Amino acid sequence: MNADMMTGNLAAAWGARLADVDYVPAFPITPQTEIVEALSVWCGNGSLNARFVTLDSEHSMMTAAGAAAATGARVFTATSSQGLLHAFEVLYTIAGWRVPLVLVNVSRALASPITLEPDHNDVLAARDSGFLQIHAETCQEVVDSILMAYRIAEDPRVCLPVMVNLDGFYLSFTREPVSLPDPKMVQAFLPPFRPTHLGFKASAPHALGTAVFGGATYSYFRHQIHLASMNALQVHEEASVEFERLCGRRYDVVEGYRLDDAEDVLIMTNAFASKGKGAVDAARAEGRRVGLLRLRMIRPWPADAIRQALQGRRAVAVLDQNLSPGQGGILFQEVAACLYHEALRPRALCSFIGGLGGKNISEGEFRAIFEQTAEAGINGQGIGPILLYTEAEHREMVQLQVLAGGLKS
Amino acid sequence: MRAVRFHGRGGQGAKTASRILGTAAFLEGFVAQDSPMYGPERRGAPVAAFTRIAQTPIRERGVIVHPDLVVIADASLMQDPAAHVPEGVDERTVVFVNSPLTAEQLQSQTSLPGRFTTLDLTGIALQQLGKRTAISALLGAVAGSLIGLGQESIREAIARELAELGLAAPMIERNQTVAAQCYETVPRVAIDVGLRRPTAPVPLRTPTYDPPTRGAASITAGPNSAIRSMAGWRTFRPVLRPDLCNGCWLCFANCPEGAITIKPDGKPAIYYPHCKGCLDCVEVCPTDALTVERETAATREA
Amino acid sequence: MTWQRETFKKIKQIPREEHVLPGTALCAGCGGLEALRLAAKVLGDDVVYVNAAGCFTMLAAYPFTPFKGSWLYTTMGSAPAGAQGVRDALDVLIAKGRLSKEEDLKVVVLGGDGSTYDMALSSTSGAITRKLDFYYFCYDNEAYGNTGMQLSPATPYGARTTTSPCSLQHPSGTTQEKKDIFEIWRAHKPPYIATVAPRYPLDLEEKFARASKFTGPKLFLALSACPTGWLYDPGETPEVAKLAVETGLWPLKEAINGVITHTYIPKRKPVEEYLKLQGRFRHLFEPTRQDEAIRHIQARVDDYWKQVNV
Repeated sequence: MNADMMTGNLAAAWGARLADVDYVPAFPITPQTEIVEALSVWCGNGSLNARFVTLDSEHSMMTAAGAAAATGARVFTATSSQGLLHAFEVLYTIAGWRVPLVLVNVSRALASPITLEPDHNDVLAARDSGFLQIHAETCQEVVDSILMAYRIAEDPRVCLPVMVNLDGFYLSFTREPVSLPDPKMVQAFLPPFRPTHLGFKASAPHALGTAVFGGATYSYFRHQIHLASMNALQVHEEASVEFERLCGRRYDVVEGYRLDDAEDVLIMTNAFASKGKGAVDAARAEGRRVGLLRLRMIRPWPADAIRQALQGRRAVAVLDQNLSPGQGGILFQEVAACLYHEALRPRALCSFIGGLGGKNISEGEFRAIFEQTAEAGINGQGIGPILLYTEAEHREMVQLQVLAGGLKS
Repeated sequence: MRAVRFHGRGGQGAKTASRILGTAAFLEGFVAQDSPMYGPERRGAPVAAFTRIAQTPIRERGVIVHPDLVVIADASLMQDPAAHVPEGVDERTVVFVNSPLTAEQLQSQTSLPGRFTTLDLTGIALQQLGKRTAISALLGAVAGSLIGLGQESIREAIARELAELGLAAPMIERNQTVAAQCYETVPRVAIDVGLRRPTAPVPLRTPTYDPPTRGAASITAGPNSAIRSMAGWRTFRPVLRPDLCNGCWLCFANCPEGAITIKPDGKPAIYYPHCKGCLDCVEVCPTDALTVERETAATREA
Repeated sequence: MTWQRETFKKIKQIPREEHVLPGTALCAGCGGLEALRLAAKVLGDDVVYVNAAGCFTMLAAYPFTPFKGSWLYTTMGSAPAGAQGVRDALDVLIAKGRLSKEEDLKVVVLGGDGSTYDMALSSTSGAITRKLDFYYFCYDNEAYGNTGMQLSPATPYGARTTTSPCSLQHPSGTTQEKKDIFEIWRAHKPPYIATVAPRYPLDLEEKFARASKFTGPKLFLALSACPTGWLYDPGETPEVAKLAVETGLWPLKEAINGVITHTYIPKRKPVEEYLKLQGRFRHLFEPTRQDEAIRHIQARVDDYWKQVNV
């Protein structure tokens, strides 16, 4: 298997192609568009035996995707940001149908103000929909995660759609070496999609997505989605083992980086975790015992793996690339909640908000994070949420405000 | 606190009755709360509404599980499992039924506990208010009488609630008059305000994972809706006189439900469990072979 | 040239078999259900109904379905996209040999006017543009019925709804004109479009039979006389539907590849006869008669039939 230079978007398209999907409903949106462009070419020239259809909106696109999966086709689709939110009600709807499709979301910050670069408020807005979520750090992980996603989604213990997330620009338009799994290997890893609980056909009429009345009935069905999602932890583990056996690459629900003797741990997700790892190396070189925990699976929430990775640490900093106004970082809350019952829980939990709208996180900012986190650990008192936004950036901001508003005092 | 539960069919006025009672209590200075509960069904389907009346703030919401008074707008609801009439009804519950039968007659026909009282509100309404009208004012007046609210506040509450629905002044006045008569004549049964039995904690169950064939809201046993009886929806029923039927099939073609089938001899037959009593068939029949009869508990079961 | 029915000439040709069974939660006397029941007699059982939120969503309510065919509830705004997904998947699976041709289904969207005229218009327009092979059945009761009769773009001039009450400003109810969805559809050039009404079963059956010969979007607009929302006695549904047609307010027509034919030419009774039957128009007659509003409605009908030129 030779590696080749490719963007995260192209890697995502390859994931769909290798999974031998049947159907690709599409709608363009920056920075996702390259994925569906590639797929439309492959569907057109026959290198992928699938039907490609451009819908009239992401709302329609997700509906068509879910309906096709409910009919028994293996479905791939992709969107980003505003598009994901436009399809929002459909995410919940098709999760309730229990259709195992894969949706790639290319993260992009949400309007308003409208912008193009990434943060994770789009994908995390969908965290309660019933979709599983896998967040990728590298272009290689994008293609591998899509293959794993199909296997997990289609497992009878799960039967839920999966969202695979990659960051706009930092992965979507970034080329790096990607080694494409051999199609024969993929066949061994991913059996053909032959669902027993889905498929509209003359000989097996049924009603799907029916109305229910009464809170108890609704409670039961909604809770089943929870149970299915929780099952995905075990199914992911099995898929992980098998994928490593076939491909030699191992992916767990969380990834620890230089954690072994780390006093303080920085938690990150997605592409900027690469920068975080670099910052850990730099801090280590200066003698700081720090490490990084990258959350790869966000739904189901890998609470045990997180607890295990964090028990006994001095301090933990969660770097949220998102902001829940009026509350703070979304993942910080979830990390904090799952540590509450941990007897050896860290002495301090710190919340940082960074990389909003794709804002760079500089080495200096990482140093500030490590310093403040260490101090919080020594004091035994958590801090935050603290916005990563520098004095220099603010001076530029003021300049922009002057230009936008005139020279009013 | 007094808790009053109204059972009716969509369109009969159970919700408005609960509001009349709530407003009347409010006008008398009580703390009041009223709310409806609809199922998916519309006209003709069971609905329930709830009124709570107290002298102190009401620490309850939604469904009334332990009613002091149950007001049943339509006797057929007592046999309709979808209506949940028996829920929480015990020996001390006062049960009012809109029925031409006496309380004793009714009691002997039902296993429902409770202390019964009846009045033929439908008969009164047909006679004095005209055809197939809602009986909300009458239900409200009866409930007010049984719960011990004053006639004047009921009268005012009727005016307010019916005006809210857009009824014209003369119609409201007629309703008030007939309601006053019902208020006076309904046989009173004292409300028993004994102490509520203590509630034991219920065992909670955590469901386990079911495969999506069972664990998702999908139906594979269809078509299965026809096992439900719609008979309780009817206030009136179409009756076919075969001797007058010319076999034109118009009734069959125009029945929204498909409750009219064509027999091998080419003549129609009404399958009553599926008939909601819309009477569209009567409307289209060119030979008057279909007539209308008022539904009674006896005919409904037939 | 007058329109001739070819398949359904006599009422006794209406198939006896039912395909939408009784026992549903829909209102007694529902004109929409009546139209659907008749349509299903031609569509048969090899059907998947793709539903948008509305009254018909109550048809398949767990654990009961009235359909011998299949059902998929989607959303209010995207049932045609759901139809797209189902149709495409069936095509793909058949082409790949994973499904036999005998397992194929007709895909039928069921949407109310609220969905059809506004929220799902993007989705519908897209589906027609993509020449999706499907049926679209709109049960038009001229308001958001499932939420209790609020103004929809299908509500006709002069109707009172819960969000277009009679007010000092608008004593005659809404002043909006009913959106012409038929023409919006026709502008997309689908092979078949028709209007139907429950009281005209042969006209309805014939149109579904004719539509079956076309591949592509086949669109049906069904007058769904609604006792609950239009405020008349359920037993009057046939009469209300009849007068809608006989006054000329609801033209029965079809358009094959854009060419319109009126399938029934009414003698055109005064619109008053239709309006008077319904509570939603009662304010036009009492306490004081609103002649101008009634004349306006009549004039719109007259203008329509003048341009039809029959």
